[in-house]
Amino acid sequence: MPFAGFSQGDDDLTPEERAYRDSIGALNESNAAIAASQKAYNAGIDLFKSKNYSGAIAKFSEAYSGDPNFTPALYNKAMAENMAEKYDDAIKTLGQLMEKKPTMAKAYFQRARSYQGLKDYAKAEADYLKSISLEPTNPKAYYNFGTLKFTQQDYDGAIKQFTKVIELDATNAFAYNDRGSCYRMQDKYPQAVLDYEEAARKNPNLAFVLNNIGTTKTKMKLYDDAIKAFNRALAVDPKFALAFNNRGVTQMKMNKVDAAVMDFTKAIEADPNYAPAYANRSGAYFKQKKYDEAKKDADKAISIDPKLADAYVNRGNAKEMLRDLDGACDDWHKAKELGSEKGKGYYAGNCNE
Amino acid sequence: MKKLFALAIVLQSALFAQDIEFKATNFKEDKEGFKVAEENLKLGTEQYVLGNTELFMVRDPELFYRKALQFFEKCDKFNPNSSELNFKMGVCYANISEREKCIPYLKKAFTLNPLIDPFMNYYYGFALQLEGDFAKASEYYEKFELEYNKADRFGKFVKQRKTECTAGKTLIATPVRAWVDHVPDLSSEYDDYSPTVTMDGEEILITSDRPNGHTANEVGRYDDDIYSSMMYDGKWQTPKPIKGPINTVKDDVVSNYHYSGNRMLMAKMNDAGNMDIYESFLTGAEWTAPVSFARMINLESNDIYASYDHNNRLIYYSKDKDGGTNGYDIMVSGVQNYRERDYAMPTRENTVSSQFNDGPIYLHPDGKRMFICSEGFNSMGGFDIFISYKVKGGGWTIPVNLGSPINTPYDDFFFAATANGKFAYISSNRPGGKGGYDIWKVIFWGPEKEPAYSVEDYLLASAGKPLTDAIADEVQVADAVNLTVFKGITIDHLTKKPVESVIDITNNVSGQVTDQFTTNSATGKFLLSLASGGNYGIAVKADGYLFHSENFNIPEGSAYNLVNKTIELYNIKVGSKIALRNVFFDTGKSDIRPESNAELDRLVQLLKDVPTLKIELSGHTDNTGSASANVSLSQARAEAVVNYLVMKGIAKNRLVAKGYGQDRPVDTNDTSDGRQNNRRTEFEITGN
Repeated sequence: MPFAGFSQGDDDLTPEERAYRDSIGALNESNAAIAASQKAYNAGIDLFKSKNYSGAIAKFSEAYSGDPNFTPALYNKAMAENMAEKYDDAIKTLGQLMEKKPTMAKAYFQRARSYQGLKDYAKAEADYLKSISLEPTNPKAYYNFGTLKFTQQDYDGAIKQFTKVIELDATNAFAYNDRGSCYRMQDKYPQAVLDYEEAARKNPNLAFVLNNIGTTKTKMKLYDDAIKAFNRALAVDPKFALAFNNRGVTQMKMNKVDAAVMDFTKAIEADPNYAPAYANRSGAYFKQKKYDEAKKDADKAISIDPKLADAYVNRGNAKEMLRDLDGACDDWHKAKELGSEKGKGYYAGNCNE
Repeated sequence: MKKLFALAIVLQSALFAQDIEFKATNFKEDKEGFKVAEENLKLGTEQYVLGNTELFMVRDPELFYRKALQFFEKCDKFNPNSSELNFKMGVCYANISEREKCIPYLKKAFTLNPLIDPFMNYYYGFALQLEGDFAKASEYYEKFELEYNKADRFGKFVKQRKTECTAGKTLIATPVRAWVDHVPDLSSEYDDYSPTVTMDGEEILITSDRPNGHTANEVGRYDDDIYSSMMYDGKWQTPKPIKGPINTVKDDVVSNYHYSGNRMLMAKMNDAGNMDIYESFLTGAEWTAPVSFARMINLESNDIYASYDHNNRLIYYSKDKDGGTNGYDIMVSGVQNYRERDYAMPTRENTVSSQFNDGPIYLHPDGKRMFICSEGFNSMGGFDIFISYKVKGGGWTIPVNLGSPINTPYDDFFFAATANGKFAYISSNRPGGKGGYDIWKVIFWGPEKEPAYSVEDYLLASAGKPLTDAIADEVQVADAVNLTVFKGITIDHLTKKPVESVIDITNNVSGQVTDQFTTNSATGKFLLSLASGGNYGIAVKADGYLFHSENFNIPEGSAYNLVNKTIELYNIKVGSKIALRNVFFDTGKSDIRPESNAELDRLVQLLKDVPTLKIELSGHTDNTGSASANVSLSQARAEAVVNYLVMKGIAKNRLVAKGYGQDRPVDTNDTSDGRQNNRRTEFEITGN
């Protein structure tokens, strides 16, 4: 029934009505700001999840400037900055957060991570300790602290931290794995294997743990056992390129070159950009005297990862047998520059008449 | 058919290839030519025989054979199909540096006449051996051995050939881990040999008899000179004569560059016509005039191809024996007084000396190994390069063949290794060079290379990156909180008086009733806020009034922060009496004055909007005048209103006109206002 008046004017408003109308207007503005802030925040989360960290940072900044009490926006911004490796920025952001929330254990935890990224291990350690003191039963801080120690090659220190994690959380497979790796770095292989096995018991779905068992057993020259471990890893994750690759290397040590070639090929099928598999297959072809194929695989490995020293060694070996000694010397020299002892040896023994 | 015929003819002529001997009867058409050829053959054969003698005595037959060839080449031009000539030429080539040239001649000689010479089977085997056909070569050597009944020293040659074939079979079948490449930059079509290289591989010295500006000898060959070449940008530069008073018009042969790089051993022909060992020193960029090495070393024999020993106590060299039949042997002598060049009487190093030519010789800087070149031992043909190891307590092991491809059935000798042992320069006349002896480079593969294996693990579960907490969760965005003030009033459509009513506001998007309120009974007003950007329904209920609903939008945006709505309701209660206060008549008349139209039009609208409505239009007066006149007037007036309504399209059956006169006052007639109120037109809802 179209008849009604529909006016927009404020001409017939009483002062009370006018005041009411104005207060609604102000409320609208503040609501709009909060809504924009929240929208930006949620958009930031989406960007974070799709790994667009710089986009996420911008959105979280926007969210925070729209609502200065919106501390989750600050926290997430710092997380995004850490993920984007903008550690200095993260430290600033977290500083702001800490002003507002001085006992937020997570903030210290995150800042420790930032310092770890900047390799300022002393400050990282301090923040981890602070985080731990604020939340002494949160295994995460001990865990990260442990990884920090590992990175600094203080394996005894790392072991302490991982042991603490295990105390607080007996089901923490990661801590067992990492502690096992500490023992491994100390060449205490049997102990390493014990911890890796425990990690596998806690979580049988971690292919990388089983892979660690495999490579450790290879170091112990228990090749059959190593193969079994790799098989377990691949049963968990049939596309675990690392396990195929490592199994192939163990096959080479057992002189099973054909089997090794198959394994390296499977690694490549699982991950066509996995340079080590190409480099290793190059070595296997070399052993089979298939020098053209060896060179091709080494070329491919290098095109994927121009810093893979082993690929240069193997390509040098292939080039020598293809009568390109100059090319071989270039490759061994490059390998030497990239830190390969083999490359250094081959260069010294075969080049510079 | 034609082809078959032609093939048959060719085969036939092959089977019965003609040996065209150098007989006058064969060259009747060219008697002059034959005469010359015959003479050349004679002269050539003289030299040939001399060469054979030298060869037999394990001495150097080169000059004689070369001379012979000069004559034989001319004969060959005249008549290439003489088995005898082919044989002789084959023998000559077989025993000089251009060895590979012998093969076609020997094969042709054999094909033309396998019985041309008692040594035919031997040399045919020799050609086969050069080609690497050791099995077949052995057969012919066997054949020759059975036929050759003389108990002379030639037996040792056949024996050696057979040993060589046996060795060759094994060695070719099991090649060593090395390549051998020709070095064209250092080689010529002449003889280039005795390479010796500095420790850093930057400079090489060779001996070559390439043209050097001196006078060539009777066979067009030049004397040996020593040349130097520098390695630049991975290539050897063109060899240049060594700097200093070294090269003479006679043979100058380099032997060994000392490890220190500041002296060398060489050999040159002395005035007596034999080779002696000399030493020269490098001062600045030039070499000093060579000094005779030592009295006890430089005897009347040919002393050549010396090698420094790593601790400078000994000297090893190659020496022949005048009147001897063992060719060159390896000699060693110890220093007695270094400054005075006083060396002891040399002795033969027996284990490394064979019945054939031995030497040159190289001692490895480590003092434990010696490389010797020899025509004896288990060479696979010609000179081969061997290695011998020092025995604790003194002496050397029996030399071991370095194998194929370093060695071939041709001459492979000299051995200059670089410091890292990866390369060695040798001299060889194997096929593939420029001619004669050339410089070749051995590239040792070395121990089998192991590939480098790339292994990756996730040692840290967090793969090197510290664990991170989950990010704080998403928030529910509060719905577009933009509000609009909604104010309004509910009134009676006809009278415009406020009506208290109940309003339900429904959000049409969600379907939910968002607000419910009652408008003010005195004013009919209401005031509330609604979220903008919505579509709303208003449902208005009031007793006696028609239910009212409508739909309206409040758009998003600040322009719409105030909305004012007037809601008019229709009175439809049966029995409701509504006075039409805005209907006017002329006094005493029933003509409706025009000012009444607005109100009457509203009534028309009401009747149109509520089609079920039935009304009684009634006229009323005050009590002035006669009662009956008032009734008629009021009736007439009511009818006038009905007519108006009908005229405006309202169906007559919905309308009743009634004049009540002064019978139904609503107010007192005693006052003027009261009387005014009574004078009215009214309608009553009689049905809906």
